Amino acid sequence: MSTSQSDVLRGTLDLLILRTLKLEPLHGWGIMQRMQQISKGVLDVNQGSLYPAFERLEQKGWIDSDWRTTVSNRRARFYRLTAAGRRALGAETGSWRRYVAAVELILRTD
Amino acid sequence: MSAAQGFLRRLRSLLLRRRTDAELAEELRFHLDLETEKNAAAGMSEPEARRRALVSFGGVTQTMESHREVGGGRWIADATSDARHALRSLARNPVLGGAAILTLALGIGANTAIFSAVNAVILRPLPFLHPERLVMLSEDNPEKGWVREYSAPANFLDWRERVKSFEDVASYTGGGGATLIIDGRPTRIRGRAVSGNYFSVLGRTPEMGRGFEWRETWKGSDVAIISHRFWLDAFGGDRNVVGRTVSLDGTPTQIVGVMPQSFSFAADTMDLWQTFAWDQASRSRISFRRAHFLRTIARLKPGVTPEAANAEFQTVVKRLQTEYPQTNRVMGADMVPLHDYLIGDIKPALLILQGAVALLLLIACANVGNLMLVQALGRERETSLRLTLGARSARLVRQALTESLVLSALGGVAGLALGWWGTRGLAALQPNGMLPVGDVTMDWRVLLAIFGLTTLTGLLFGIVPAVWASHREPADVLREGGRGGASRRVRRWGDVMVAAEVALALTLTLGAGLLVRSFWRLAHVDPGFEPRGVLATGISLGAGYDSASTQLHFFEGLLEEVRATPGVTDAAAALVPPLGGYGFSSDYHIGGRGPDDYGTEIGREQVTPHYFETLRVPLVAGRFITEADREKSLPVVVINEALARKEFHGVSPIGQTITFDQHPDSTAVWRTIVGVVGNIHESGLALDPKITAYEAVAQSPNSGMTLLVRTSGDVRALVPAIRRLVAARDPALALAQTQPLASLEARSIARQRFIMSLIVVFAATGFLLAVIGVYGVMAQTTRRRTREMGIRLALGARTADVQWLVMRHAFGVVAVGLVLGVAAALGGGRIIRGLLYDVAPTDPLTFIVIPALILTTGLLASWLPALRASRTAPSSTLREE
Repeated sequence: MSTSQSDVLRGTLDLLILRTLKLEPLHGWGIMQRMQQISKGVLDVNQGSLYPAFERLEQKGWIDSDWRTTVSNRRARFYRLTAAGRRALGAETGSWRRYVAAVELILRTD
Repeated sequence: MSAAQGFLRRLRSLLLRRRTDAELAEELRFHLDLETEKNAAAGMSEPEARRRALVSFGGVTQTMESHREVGGGRWIADATSDARHALRSLARNPVLGGAAILTLALGIGANTAIFSAVNAVILRPLPFLHPERLVMLSEDNPEKGWVREYSAPANFLDWRERVKSFEDVASYTGGGGATLIIDGRPTRIRGRAVSGNYFSVLGRTPEMGRGFEWRETWKGSDVAIISHRFWLDAFGGDRNVVGRTVSLDGTPTQIVGVMPQSFSFAADTMDLWQTFAWDQASRSRISFRRAHFLRTIARLKPGVTPEAANAEFQTVVKRLQTEYPQTNRVMGADMVPLHDYLIGDIKPALLILQGAVALLLLIACANVGNLMLVQALGRERETSLRLTLGARSARLVRQALTESLVLSALGGVAGLALGWWGTRGLAALQPNGMLPVGDVTMDWRVLLAIFGLTTLTGLLFGIVPAVWASHREPADVLREGGRGGASRRVRRWGDVMVAAEVALALTLTLGAGLLVRSFWRLAHVDPGFEPRGVLATGISLGAGYDSASTQLHFFEGLLEEVRATPGVTDAAAALVPPLGGYGFSSDYHIGGRGPDDYGTEIGREQVTPHYFETLRVPLVAGRFITEADREKSLPVVVINEALARKEFHGVSPIGQTITFDQHPDSTAVWRTIVGVVGNIHESGLALDPKITAYEAVAQSPNSGMTLLVRTSGDVRALVPAIRRLVAARDPALALAQTQPLASLEARSIARQRFIMSLIVVFAATGFLLAVIGVYGVMAQTTRRRTREMGIRLALGARTADVQWLVMRHAFGVVAVGLVLGVAAALGGGRIIRGLLYDVAPTDPLTFIVIPALILTTGLLASWLPALRASRTAPSSTLREE
């Protein structure tokens, strides 16, 4: 769990969750569906690892949650982005882009 | 979400684990349901859809677990498992665990009991309304050497009327005995005369009936209020008691109220309060300003600072000095918070006791710390294995601390029980009113203190093993196999603990030693008379004996009959029995001296013939008081050696005259000195006898006297005979405070004895713990050096050489402890000085004997393991490893 590789992945998962929630509040399953849809099925996240990520983000104060009723009239926990989360998303997106660009640069040099 | 919110959330998730677990379960169920529906919509069968949902989810339990880890549940789970682990390892080693718990229980229990007393006396506010506004007023007189003395009634009345900062001022007398006749049966009671506003100044009201009124301070109102206890004891809790009239010392008195059970002023155990019933006319008499017998309490007006009140009070006192120069010329006054006044006496002793038990607890901590270290050593391989398998060292530290806390919690619970028992014992065994409070009980403050103390204790003795555990390198441990570098470090810790224990135990024992010496001195003070074989009993005549001649007639007749009783060798009576203080004191003037050559503070006593013979007080010169000294004969006085030495410097005082006034006028009564007797400790063994004059009762009769009867047989066996004789003369009289004079003597030093005994018990416990500690550490270090010794022995060292090896080390460590302990005791000597009688806080004997005792015991405790080690055959030692 505590290897540096999983830390990178964990950071990625957090970023993706934040990005997904930027559009609208969603429940866990919804977030997963949305991520799969948008990534056209490329990103198949371990569904079980979503919930610890929610807890983590909530502790950081980046997301917030409450129980609501879905359109099909079922109780579900909905997560939404907080103001701090919105700011964090901006910062995280920036650093992710720099990271990707750097990796890209290295990969391009033959 | 702020940090505080995050914290709250985590706290909530810790406390409400079950609920959040349930929530998470519901959330996951919702997730799985949707996934299953999605799969079913894709054409799968119901079970297959469910199964695929679960597979792609990847394990519900793991999710819950890791969710919990993020949420802080891991910590709780770890702590629980640490605690369980600690209990398991305790159960594995019950002797060690039991010893540790017992040690802690002793330390915590002793602290609990003493702190209960400290709390009840020092910390708890007085049980009165706004007690912070109550102050004690007393009078000072540098010329007479008075400090915080009783005040005179006229001064009290003037203070009350003139000082505007005081809302009200009340006063009371020390408790005294009285005879109450209920249904024709005389009962001796303890009563206190008070001003009419006594209860209202304290802010307490009766539970039944009414309180006194200020006008009842004056003559014409014979009213009384009784205590709750006395109401139950004497009136069987009769609700009609209010309004009932009883005979109080022969005066019909109406009971107007019953005070609630919770009312207690200091530790008084009054049965009854009555008002002074002073004569208004006496306000202008000089005696009303000269006789000092009142304790005076003032209540400050709200918002008035004590400084401002005292400033105004002092102005009034100064004005009284000029207004009444004859009595008040040098009369100063003093104002202190009532609480300070009430506890002033006992506070230093209580704090010293608290210090002693704190030392005891530290010794206990060092001991248990050692035990823990020993246990940690025994588990060295387990520890290293766990480290190798990837346990983080922080986790090991936490586990060690948890173990200490579990141990201290168990010790704390046992200590609480012990402390509860100790508190009750302390309250029950304390000599009369030593703790000036109504009750000594444990309250939330005590419980909080125990809780804090227990935690602190656990951390204190757990820290060494914990820190030690954190520095472990698994490879080292496995390589060492319990020898070498690490064990040297352990030994160093052991040495530190031994030195500390020796120092602490020595400090404590030295303090105890000083108190024992002091008490021994006190108990061997020659009281100036022979108390053994004498019975003392008080008789106070009631309203039927108004004239001096009837009073005298009663006592003379009674004494004659008592002397004729079989077994009685002699009998006499006095105003106040020896060791009971003085009836009063006054100024004096020796006949023929200049007008300003007067003396102050002479103790005065009135005695019957046979007084000195009964008490076996030696006659130094002249004669005793005899039957020939009558009302109409020459007024005589017998003085003690102290006065003879002070005033007559070797010249015989016999035939000189004395009067009890500073500036005698024509009305002064001059008394002729007819005898000089040895000094009697009238006010208690600890106080030096002061200059005293004994007058003949026949020349100044009294209604209340103490009978002193000497017998060759059993003192207490006399009581029924005397009671019969008294009843035959007057059935309305009761005997008061009947006791052997020897127990009065014991009582005068009971407080010192009690405090000394407590400290000796604490010191003995501390000493014993320290010896066990030294033995434990030495046995442990020696055991770990057995291999080395085996090699030395195998190479030809003599047994003595090997023993010397251990002893040299032990001596060094104990010596360091001794030096530290002596230094601490010398430094702390100032603190204990106030409790010592005729012993310097640096008493050489104590400071030689006790360190020597500790050194010997410490070396003996180290020698035993050394002896065992050196006796082991080298071959078996080497094989063992």
